[in-house]
Amino acid sequence: MDINIKIYFQINPNSGVPIYRQVIDQVKIGIATGRFKPGEYLPSVREVSSALEINPMTVSKAYSLLEKNKIVEFIRGQGMRVPDAPINVKNNGNEEQMKALLREVVNCAQQWSLTQETVLKDLKQIWEVNSHGQDG
Amino acid sequence: MVKMVDIQNVTKILGQKTVLQDLSLNISEGSVVGLLGKNGAGKTTLLKCLLGFLRIDQGKILTLNENPWEFSAKVKNKIGFVPQSYRPYPWLQAGALIDYTASFYAYWNKTLVNRLVKEWELDLSNRISVLSEGEMQKLLIILSLGHEPELLVFDEPVASLDPTARRQFLRTILDIVSERKCTVFFSTHITSDLERIADTVAVLKSGNIDFVGGLDELKDTVKRIRFRSHRLIPADLSMEGVIVKQINDHDALLTVRDFNQERLEMLEKAFDTKIEVEDLNLEEIFLEIN
Repeated sequence: MDINIKIYFQINPNSGVPIYRQVIDQVKIGIATGRFKPGEYLPSVREVSSALEINPMTVSKAYSLLEKNKIVEFIRGQGMRVPDAPINVKNNGNEEQMKALLREVVNCAQQWSLTQETVLKDLKQIWEVNSHGQDG
Repeated sequence: MVKMVDIQNVTKILGQKTVLQDLSLNISEGSVVGLLGKNGAGKTTLLKCLLGFLRIDQGKILTLNENPWEFSAKVKNKIGFVPQSYRPYPWLQAGALIDYTASFYAYWNKTLVNRLVKEWELDLSNRISVLSEGEMQKLLIILSLGHEPELLVFDEPVASLDPTARRQFLRTILDIVSERKCTVFFSTHITSDLERIADTVAVLKSGNIDFVGGLDELKDTVKRIRFRSHRLIPADLSMEGVIVKQINDHDALLTVRDFNQERLEMLEKAFDTKIEVEDLNLEEIFLEIN
């Protein structure tokens, strides 16, 4: 189980982003990419904290915020369940964040003298590979 | 919340030096609190005061509801402590030191101690005098855990440990805090370990607590911001919560405490520009605060 958790959650405790926010993001990404499928349960707080060697309170804080935002549902005696209906992970400011990431991509591309066509082609390909992963 | 440690307006003078000045701090039950501070900030003195190894000059301390200077045996049974360096009875074998220590306590979890000795690869037949610094530290940590204390106090617990042993230590502490109610208060220089296990951070600076609060809250609110404006940025730009500032006509680099969306918008409006907000990790925040 430990190994699986480390695959599901890429956490960097020494980043400036608080660990609970990293856990939230990883769960959202996991659901969006199909790593966590509808009806599945997230690993328990204990399992996550032990596998990632982080404080269990941090994990339970992340889980309760996920529940509050209806990303997962809490089932008594079972844990945190990914809902059947696909959730709409809407978040104000997402677009701005994406723009910031894209700006970095463009900066790099220009620095390395890559053409717009190459970058767009790669982006499209990555997009497709990712969506396939979600289907299967 | 039950207060495990309640420190009120404490002053401690050592020789000519006022090491702690009017310091107040609470530690609530079940929390894992990391104490950060530069060399000589008073971390060890603070820990010694709340454990009754030093007598305070002014103020009041209650540790598990008792004055540390007059601890009862009952409370001592509930506290585990690892000092920065300590090498008692050099002629004893490590195993004998464990048995000797166990005899002082009403309860001793042999299973836990044996498990840790095995996990940490300690050879109990070695004499205390020949143990390396790291081995000695491991042994002291194990000795502090055997009676399953409710309050664990560590002074630089991982300073002599190699990275593998440090991880084992963190894992042990995490196991303990998730298995049963245990409060942990530890001083450290290694901010990366603190980031993994602490939920609360207290920063000690010139004998006083400069910041105390949630680690998440600290990372969420201390930000480095950078902007460039076509307007002239006044060199004496003043804003609440600025810790560090560098301003060069049209460029500004600030580190701000209690930063939020409202302040971001206010600045963007004032200088008609887009502001870059950078997250800081604990080490960076520590360096900026100091």
